[in-house]
Amino acid sequence: MTGAVGNVALGVGLVAAVASALAWLRVALIGADARPARIATWTLLVAAAAGCGVLEWALLTHDFSVRYVAENGGRDVPTYFTVTSLWAALDGSLLLWLLILAGCAVLLGRQRVDADADELRPWALSVVGVVAVFFFALTYFAANPFATVVPTPADGPGPNPLLREHPAMGLHPPLLYAGYIALVVPFGYGLAALLTGRADRIRDAAVRRWTLGAWSLLTAGITLGAWWSYAVLGWGGYWAWDPVENASLLPWLTATALLHTLVAGRATPALRTWSVCLACVSFLLVLVGTFLTRSGAVASVHAFTASPLGPMLLGFVLLAVAVVVGLVAYRAGAPGGPTTSPLLSRESVLTGNAVLLVTVASIVLTGTLFPLLARAVRGEQLAVGPDYYARSAVPVGLVVLLLMGLARTLRPGRPADLSAVRLPALVGLATALVVGMTSRPGVLPLLAFGLGAFVLTGLFTRGPAAGGRDRRAGWLLAHAGLAIVAIGVAASAAYTVSSERQLRIGDTVRAGGVTARLDSVDGPGTPGTTGARVTLTLGGHASGTSHPRLRYYPARDLTVSVPAIRSRPTGDVYITVLAVGDDGTTTVRLAVNPLVGLIWLGGALIAAGGLLTIVRRSRAGRPEDVRPDRVGAGSTA
Amino acid sequence: MRRRLAALIAATAVVAALAVLLGYGIRTGQPDAARAAGPVTELRSAPAPPLTGTTLDGRSFDLTRLRGQVVLVNVWASWCDPCRQELPALAAAQRRWSGRGFAVVALGVRDTTESARRLLTDLGVTGLTTVTDPHGTTAVAWGTRGVPETFLVDRQGVVRVWARGAVDTAWLQRRVTPLLAS
Amino acid sequence: MKRRLVGFTGSLVLAAGAAAAVWRSVPPDQPSARDLAAQLVCPACQGETVAQSASPMAAAMRATIAQQLATGHTGQQIRQYFVDRYGAGILADPAAGGLGAVLWVVPVLVLAALAVLVWRSRRRPADPGPLAATGPARTWRRAWDVLAVAVVALVAAVAVASPREPGGPAAATAADPTVITLAVGRSLEEQGRYAEAADVYRDALDQQPDDRLRRRLAFALLRAGRLVEAEAVAARVLDDDPGDPDALLLLGLAQRASGSPKAAATLRRFLRQAPDHPAAAEVRRLLGDR
Repeated sequence: MTGAVGNVALGVGLVAAVASALAWLRVALIGADARPARIATWTLLVAAAAGCGVLEWALLTHDFSVRYVAENGGRDVPTYFTVTSLWAALDGSLLLWLLILAGCAVLLGRQRVDADADELRPWALSVVGVVAVFFFALTYFAANPFATVVPTPADGPGPNPLLREHPAMGLHPPLLYAGYIALVVPFGYGLAALLTGRADRIRDAAVRRWTLGAWSLLTAGITLGAWWSYAVLGWGGYWAWDPVENASLLPWLTATALLHTLVAGRATPALRTWSVCLACVSFLLVLVGTFLTRSGAVASVHAFTASPLGPMLLGFVLLAVAVVVGLVAYRAGAPGGPTTSPLLSRESVLTGNAVLLVTVASIVLTGTLFPLLARAVRGEQLAVGPDYYARSAVPVGLVVLLLMGLARTLRPGRPADLSAVRLPALVGLATALVVGMTSRPGVLPLLAFGLGAFVLTGLFTRGPAAGGRDRRAGWLLAHAGLAIVAIGVAASAAYTVSSERQLRIGDTVRAGGVTARLDSVDGPGTPGTTGARVTLTLGGHASGTSHPRLRYYPARDLTVSVPAIRSRPTGDVYITVLAVGDDGTTTVRLAVNPLVGLIWLGGALIAAGGLLTIVRRSRAGRPEDVRPDRVGAGSTA
Repeated sequence: MRRRLAALIAATAVVAALAVLLGYGIRTGQPDAARAAGPVTELRSAPAPPLTGTTLDGRSFDLTRLRGQVVLVNVWASWCDPCRQELPALAAAQRRWSGRGFAVVALGVRDTTESARRLLTDLGVTGLTTVTDPHGTTAVAWGTRGVPETFLVDRQGVVRVWARGAVDTAWLQRRVTPLLAS
Repeated sequence: MKRRLVGFTGSLVLAAGAAAAVWRSVPPDQPSARDLAAQLVCPACQGETVAQSASPMAAAMRATIAQQLATGHTGQQIRQYFVDRYGAGILADPAAGGLGAVLWVVPVLVLAALAVLVWRSRRRPADPGPLAATGPARTWRRAWDVLAVAVVALVAAVAVASPREPGGPAAATAADPTVITLAVGRSLEEQGRYAEAADVYRDALDQQPDDRLRRRLAFALLRAGRLVEAEAVAARVLDDDPGDPDALLLLGLAQRASGSPKAAATLRRFLRQAPDHPAAAEVRRLLGDR
């Protein structure tokens, strides 16, 4: 019964998606009344919400006749994680995806006073509609979570245990999906500009607001994902350059570049083409990433299991890429404009940063696809590990940081005022000197420390220029956040110490001034959780016990090593149990990770900065659209 | 016009290359489907790495002393489930062929003496020479990827066969007898 | 003038000091055990390095690295040691030559292409205005509406007509209820809850007879000590397929456990049917055969 209601909702959604794509196209082509199109879009949202609601209801009432519940529900799962099971597997997460997509369409298509000024909006909505058609069809025909299971099983295996270990799972996937999907709007505008050949009609303000929103959500999602990986997977790190992680980083990089070309493009029409391309590429990377992680094409710790969606997703990805590439090639060389700005100007620094960010994205994409290439060409399993990214992406990233530090010296259309960076440069050099002489962190971390100090000092030395105080706050937060992340990453990469030993009760393991003594092991051999109680001594003072666990999930035949983390202002003490023998010998890994907290703090600051900018912007009203020069002065780099 | 044509050709090439690469990815990317039943077996021809250590009953062991015999080296651990299935088959093979110069050496990886001994008692397996490898370094020296894994060393001390996954009586029959005959 | 000189000298000293600090930070020739572990892929896992993985084989590899570092091997020697044993695939980073060059060439090409584009866009004069969007004439409106309604109706018809219940192409494998029951039952068996697993199988059997379920049911009953029921279920499978080795084995073991004299004959039948069965050796041992 529940399943039937869900099916109807999905069917209605599919029809509404087709209707909305056609209706908005009608508005775009003929300039007809937008009301029918708006109704279709609202129907889309209602259908998607009903689909999610029904599945959530089935999960909560343990209705195992619904396929998704039979595969991912379980009677012994706590309510919170039952709710989050909606996105614990592929089919349910597609429903969430649909809900967010429909939400974006409604938000973009809502009645607005100045709607007529935005010629490209119906086109963009039509593109969003086509994307919705595809994803509804995918859910309805290929990955329908509402299929009936006969006979009804008595219980289910529960969601993937890794997703049951941390409350961040409630937030990380929805944020990440929201970030991914909101990029469909800039994509819609970009494609609209390419279709109509009117890049000059793009409303920078609209595109920028959507990009900022998507980018902020993406930042928050990525940060939470890193935190989850750190707090649950138990390997002691937060970023493994795994294909799934790379897939989330790729659109973030190009979206960041897009934000910068949008700013610079105000004064330089030639950069409009850049913005259009970056807007398209960002969403294409979302699609490529979705394909890579959902089709089982690349090996990853957290890829979903292989599903029949691969070929369909591949078809859509290729269609989208072909359309975009074809249109870009067709329109190549259309809009352009003379550039009179000096070489070291705001425009060129912003463009340079965008170029470098796209280069980083190309490095990450190449590294992610390389194992596929090796398999196709040589039939060999070759891996691309963190070392490659550390040697390629990280140095380019440091140059980006350097350019970021120049932001404060730049004014639109004027050469850079280099005297403003004198103090920050000295602070940066001094930081590198002191850190490098007192410890040996390695070249890249040392450069990151110096550049981080350079950027941070630069941001806060000169008071905000008159008139821009409002919008500066978000800008400052985001840039400071990035510098803080850089420092946190460098510190944890350079100064982490760890030690791993097989312990019997009473034995100790030591690392970085911390001593851990194994006090007791509870329940060896029993199914379920095996935990260890470990007493910590920091610098001679006892500081309580920690309780890392080793949890076995028989239904999925998976063991999860959940770390015990003790956070201090200077860093985390991170203890994991790797193995427990029958006789009670326990392999314990003790690590001291300095300053990792800065990474979560920085990520939060970046996301907050982005959101703050949107809020301020919409509160400030619209006159900025008429006076682009003023906005430009407010938000640089 | 010419430039536009070139751009379109380049665009087509990019899309086609992406299509081939990603399409190949989904065709070959599902290792679980490819994993057939039974052990993955590979023929090799390389001198056996050193294998020395202490056996479960406390004696010292050196593989070179078994030169002249066909030796089956089985890497196992008490924490590995498939190993339980194959150990009785190995013990049976040892009993059957010991008269023809065949020995089984079990290498217990990252195990404690007690748990290894307990498993063997539970399974009712006796008479296997079991060398302990508490840190797993000997297994790594043999190039072990996971447990269980089986190596067949011929009478000249050359590794001939490598198998990953639990072996059974049929596999042993097929792989060991040719080496015994040579 | 004097202040300027002092400032200039100060910055120069700072710059030199920072350069010295960077120089000092150049990593030593001998990499740490963690560095080396991060350069190797764990062979037992999916896309994790040896430094990250919690698997026992990764721990063994870390122990090997530590041992070799302690005996004075260089990083290169240790990497080679692993490549000799596991092949080039063990390295987390492909060698720079050959195919690995792609990793460096592609980003450099992208950077170069972008730089050229930027440079050209700085130089190029403004193009004349791009093509204006041409909207179709008003007469199109009705045709458009008819066409659009037709498309929507078509999609709706396809959606209604498409098979959605079990037996749909995609759902067929994933939604096989027997597979799910088997998974649930197996998870119960693994926790030692054989009686509950037996109940799950029996419930499912009531709704859909399936010999796969019966075999598991017989096994669960055997382990739960409900021997008479186990015998009955195994016998039921043999009715369908008299030569089924698993059923013969289960029947024989159940008979043996309950002390039935027919046990030996059943187990010998099992051995004739499946001499290579994984349990065959064990059964021979039980029967006292060699």
